Amino acid sequence: MTNGELTTADEQLLTTFMQRLRAAPFDAVPRMPDARVLWLKAQLIQRWDNQRQVQRPLDVMEPFEVAAGLAAAVLLLIWSMPSAFAWIPRLTF
Amino acid sequence: MLSEHVLGEFYQRHGRSVWTYVFRVTNNAADADDIVQEAFLRLFQADTPPSDDEGLRRYVFRIAGNLLADRWRKQKRDERHAPESARHDSGETRDLDVVRVFSSLKSRERALLWLAYVEGENHEDIADSLRVGRASVKVLLSRARARLRDVLRARGIVEK
Repeated sequence: MTNGELTTADEQLLTTFMQRLRAAPFDAVPRMPDARVLWLKAQLIQRWDNQRQVQRPLDVMEPFEVAAGLAAAVLLLIWSMPSAFAWIPRLTF
Repeated sequence: MLSEHVLGEFYQRHGRSVWTYVFRVTNNAADADDIVQEAFLRLFQADTPPSDDEGLRRYVFRIAGNLLADRWRKQKRDERHAPESARHDSGETRDLDVVRVFSSLKSRERALLWLAYVEGENHEDIADSLRVGRASVKVLLSRARARLRDVLRARGIVEK
Protein backbone atom coordinates (compact mmCIF):
# COMPACT_ATOMS: atom_id res chain seq x y z
CA MET A 1 0.00 0.00 0.00
CA THR A 2 2.85 2.33 0.87
CA ASN A 3 4.24 2.45 -2.64
CA GLY A 4 0.95 3.14 -4.34
CA GLU A 5 0.65 6.09 -6.66
CA LEU A 6 -0.88 9.21 -5.22
CA THR A 7 -4.04 10.51 -6.80
CA THR A 8 -4.83 14.19 -7.15
CA ALA A 9 -7.20 13.83 -4.20
CA ASP A 10 -4.40 12.29 -2.14
CA GLU A 11 -2.09 15.13 -3.08
CA GLN A 12 -4.73 17.66 -2.09
CA LEU A 13 -5.23 15.88 1.19
CA LEU A 14 -1.53 15.91 2.00
CA THR A 15 -1.24 19.59 1.13
CA THR A 16 -4.16 20.41 3.43
CA PHE A 17 -2.74 18.22 6.16
CA MET A 18 0.66 19.88 5.99
CA GLN A 19 -0.93 23.31 6.07
CA ARG A 20 -2.82 22.32 9.21
CA LEU A 21 0.35 20.95 10.73
CA ARG A 22 2.18 24.16 9.98
CA ALA A 23 -0.48 26.14 11.79
CA ALA A 24 -0.79 23.69 14.68
CA PRO A 25 0.24 25.19 18.01
CA PHE A 26 2.70 23.51 20.37
CA ASP A 27 3.17 23.74 24.11
CA ALA A 28 6.94 23.68 23.90
CA VAL A 29 8.56 27.08 24.04
CA PRO A 30 11.63 27.67 21.89
CA ARG A 31 14.57 28.66 24.05
CA MET A 32 16.53 30.66 21.56
CA PRO A 33 19.23 33.01 22.74
CA ASP A 34 19.27 36.67 21.86
CA ALA A 35 20.79 37.49 18.47
CA ARG A 36 23.52 39.57 20.11
CA VAL A 37 24.52 36.68 22.40
CA LEU A 38 24.59 34.29 19.47
CA TRP A 39 26.70 36.69 17.45
CA LEU A 40 29.25 37.11 20.25
CA LYS A 41 29.38 33.34 20.73
CA ALA A 42 30.01 32.86 17.02
CA GLN A 43 32.80 35.46 17.09
CA LEU A 44 34.38 33.76 20.10
CA ILE A 45 34.29 30.33 18.47
CA GLN A 46 35.72 31.83 15.29
CA ARG A 47 38.57 33.40 17.25
CA TRP A 48 39.36 30.11 19.01
CA ASP A 49 39.34 28.30 15.68
CA ASN A 50 41.72 30.86 14.21
CA GLN A 51 44.03 30.59 17.22
CA ARG A 52 44.01 26.80 16.97
CA GLN A 53 44.85 27.04 13.28
CA VAL A 54 47.80 29.35 13.93
CA GLN A 55 48.99 27.20 16.82
CA ARG A 56 48.72 23.89 14.94
CA PRO A 57 52.14 23.99 13.14
CA LEU A 58 53.85 24.80 16.43
CA ASP A 59 52.08 21.89 18.15
CA VAL A 60 53.04 19.53 15.33
CA MET A 61 56.70 20.60 15.39
CA GLU A 62 57.11 20.48 19.17
CA PRO A 63 58.10 16.76 19.43
CA PHE A 64 60.61 17.22 16.58
CA GLU A 65 62.12 20.23 18.35
CA VAL A 66 62.57 18.26 21.57
CA ALA A 67 64.07 15.29 19.68
CA ALA A 68 66.45 17.55 17.74
CA GLY A 69 67.51 19.30 20.97
CA LEU A 70 68.23 16.00 22.70
CA ALA A 71 70.16 14.67 19.69
CA ALA A 72 72.25 17.85 19.58
CA ALA A 73 72.99 17.57 23.29
CA VAL A 74 74.12 13.94 22.94
CA LEU A 75 76.33 14.80 19.93
CA LEU A 76 77.90 17.71 21.80
CA LEU A 77 78.59 15.47 24.77
CA ILE A 78 80.25 12.81 22.59
CA TRP A 79 82.25 15.43 20.67
CA SER A 80 83.50 17.19 23.78
CA MET A 81 84.19 14.06 25.81
CA PRO A 82 87.88 13.50 24.71
CA SER A 83 88.93 17.06 25.47
CA ALA A 84 86.82 17.24 28.60
CA PHE A 85 88.51 14.24 30.14
CA ALA A 86 91.99 14.66 28.59
CA TRP A 87 93.49 15.91 31.85
CA ILE A 88 92.72 12.63 33.70
CA PRO A 89 95.71 10.61 32.33
CA ARG A 90 98.06 13.49 33.18
CA LEU A 91 97.29 13.16 36.86
CA THR A 92 100.17 11.86 38.95
CA PHE A 93 99.79 10.60 42.44
CA MET B 1 30.91 37.90 6.07
CA LEU B 2 27.61 39.70 6.64
CA SER B 3 27.22 42.31 9.34
CA GLU B 4 25.95 41.60 12.80
CA HIS B 5 22.93 43.77 12.11
CA VAL B 6 21.89 41.89 8.95
CA LEU B 7 22.35 38.48 10.52
CA GLY B 8 20.64 39.57 13.72
CA GLU B 9 17.57 40.73 11.84
CA PHE B 10 17.57 37.56 9.78
CA TYR B 11 17.70 35.51 12.98
CA GLN B 12 14.75 37.43 14.42
CA ARG B 13 12.72 36.88 11.25
CA HIS B 14 13.49 33.24 10.54
CA GLY B 15 14.73 31.69 13.78
CA ARG B 16 11.26 30.62 14.79
CA SER B 17 10.46 28.91 11.46
CA VAL B 18 13.73 26.96 11.56
CA TRP B 19 12.94 25.94 15.13
CA THR B 20 9.44 24.79 14.15
CA TYR B 21 10.87 22.68 11.34
CA VAL B 22 13.43 21.02 13.61
CA PHE B 23 10.93 20.55 16.41
CA ARG B 24 8.40 18.88 14.12
CA VAL B 25 11.09 16.55 12.84
CA THR B 26 12.70 15.68 16.18
CA ASN B 27 9.61 15.89 18.42
CA ASN B 28 11.93 17.22 21.07
CA ALA B 29 12.15 20.85 22.12
CA ALA B 30 15.60 20.55 23.71
CA ASP B 31 17.01 18.95 20.55
CA ALA B 32 15.39 21.68 18.49
CA ASP B 33 16.95 24.36 20.71
CA ASP B 34 20.40 22.80 20.30
CA ILE B 35 20.19 22.24 16.56
CA VAL B 36 18.82 25.68 15.78
CA GLN B 37 21.45 27.39 17.87
CA GLU B 38 24.21 25.37 16.20
CA ALA B 39 22.77 26.10 12.75
CA PHE B 40 22.75 29.85 13.35
CA LEU B 41 26.21 29.75 14.94
CA ARG B 42 27.52 28.12 11.77
CA LEU B 43 25.71 30.67 9.64
CA PHE B 44 27.21 33.52 11.67
CA GLN B 45 30.69 32.03 11.14
CA ALA B 46 30.27 31.38 7.42
CA ASP B 47 32.88 33.13 5.29
CA THR B 48 30.70 33.63 2.23
CA PRO B 49 27.04 33.23 3.12
CA PRO B 50 24.39 34.16 0.53
CA SER B 51 23.72 37.87 0.55
CA ASP B 52 19.97 37.78 -0.09
CA ASP B 53 17.30 36.87 2.44
CA GLU B 54 15.93 33.88 0.52
CA GLY B 55 19.41 32.48 -0.04
CA LEU B 56 20.21 32.86 3.64
CA ARG B 57 16.97 31.14 4.60
CA ARG B 58 17.73 28.16 2.40
CA TYR B 59 21.28 28.12 3.67
CA VAL B 60 20.27 27.92 7.32
CA PHE B 61 17.63 25.29 6.59
CA ARG B 62 20.33 23.28 4.84
CA ILE B 63 22.63 23.54 7.86
CA ALA B 64 19.80 22.47 10.15
CA GLY B 65 19.00 19.56 7.83
CA ASN B 66 22.65 18.49 7.79
CA LEU B 67 22.70 18.55 11.58
CA LEU B 68 19.55 16.43 11.65
CA ALA B 69 21.09 13.96 9.19
CA ASP B 70 24.23 13.75 11.36
CA ARG B 71 22.05 13.05 14.35
CA TRP B 72 20.17 10.24 12.58
CA ARG B 73 23.46 8.67 11.55
CA LYS B 74 24.72 8.84 15.12
CA GLN B 75 21.47 7.41 16.46
CA LYS B 76 21.69 4.52 14.00
CA ARG B 77 25.13 3.66 15.31
CA ASP B 78 23.98 3.82 18.88
CA GLU B 79 22.32 0.51 19.65
CA ARG B 80 21.21 1.69 23.02
CA HIS B 81 19.01 4.27 21.42
CA ALA B 82 15.33 3.72 22.08
CA PRO B 83 13.03 2.98 19.14
CA GLU B 84 11.89 6.15 17.52
CA SER B 85 8.21 5.48 18.06
CA ALA B 86 8.84 5.53 21.79
CA ARG B 87 10.45 8.95 21.75
CA HIS B 88 8.21 11.87 22.44
CA ASP B 89 8.80 15.15 24.08
CA SER B 90 6.78 15.77 27.16
CA GLY B 91 5.97 19.26 25.99
CA GLU B 92 4.38 18.19 22.76
CA THR B 93 0.74 18.93 22.20
CA ARG B 94 -0.65 15.43 21.91
CA ASP B 95 -4.30 16.26 21.57
CA LEU B 96 -3.86 17.46 18.03
CA ASP B 97 -4.46 14.77 15.44
CA VAL B 98 -2.19 16.36 12.91
CA VAL B 99 0.72 16.36 15.32
CA ARG B 100 0.15 12.77 16.36
CA VAL B 101 -0.18 11.59 12.79
CA PHE B 102 2.96 13.41 11.74
CA SER B 103 4.86 12.07 14.76
CA SER B 104 4.07 8.52 13.71
CA LEU B 105 6.24 8.92 10.62
CA LYS B 106 9.99 8.37 10.65
CA SER B 107 12.04 11.48 11.33
CA ARG B 108 13.55 11.49 7.85
CA GLU B 109 10.08 11.25 6.33
CA ARG B 110 8.95 14.15 8.47
CA ALA B 111 11.91 16.23 7.33
CA LEU B 112 11.28 15.40 3.67
CA LEU B 113 7.61 16.28 3.88
CA TRP B 114 8.21 19.48 5.84
CA LEU B 115 10.82 20.77 3.43
CA ALA B 116 8.71 19.89 0.40
CA TYR B 117 5.30 21.08 1.59
CA VAL B 118 5.94 23.77 4.18
CA GLU B 119 9.20 25.27 2.97
CA GLY B 120 8.49 24.57 -0.69
CA GLU B 121 12.03 23.40 -1.40
CA ASN B 122 12.89 21.60 -4.63
CA HIS B 123 14.42 18.13 -4.78
CA GLU B 124 17.94 19.47 -5.21
CA ASP B 125 17.75 21.61 -2.08
CA ILE B 126 16.21 18.77 -0.09
CA ALA B 127 18.99 16.43 -1.18
CA ASP B 128 21.66 18.90 -0.09
CA SER B 129 19.87 19.57 3.14
CA LEU B 130 19.35 15.98 4.25
CA ARG B 131 22.55 14.57 2.73
CA VAL B 132 20.85 12.08 0.47
CA GLY B 133 21.52 11.50 -3.20
CA ARG B 134 19.66 13.82 -5.55
CA ALA B 135 18.27 10.84 -7.42
CA SER B 136 17.02 9.31 -4.17
CA VAL B 137 15.01 12.31 -3.03
CA LYS B 138 12.20 11.73 -5.49
CA VAL B 139 11.82 8.12 -4.40
CA LEU B 140 12.13 8.89 -0.68
CA LEU B 141 9.67 11.75 -0.91
CA SER B 142 7.23 9.63 -2.86
CA ARG B 143 7.43 6.92 -0.19
CA ALA B 144 7.00 9.49 2.57
CA ARG B 145 3.91 10.89 0.85
CA ALA B 146 2.45 7.42 0.43
CA ARG B 147 3.21 6.60 4.06
CA LEU B 148 1.49 9.74 5.27
CA ARG B 149 -1.52 9.03 3.08
CA ASP B 150 -1.68 5.48 4.45
CA VAL B 151 -1.45 6.70 8.04
CA LEU B 152 -4.22 9.22 7.38
CA ARG B 153 -6.38 6.50 5.85
CA ALA B 154 -5.66 4.08 8.67
CA ARG B 155 -6.78 6.67 11.20
CA GLY B 156 -9.88 7.41 9.23
CA ILE B 157 -8.87 10.98 8.66
CA VAL B 158 -9.49 10.57 4.96
CA GLU B 159 -12.06 8.68 2.98
CA LYS B 160 -10.69 5.88 0.85
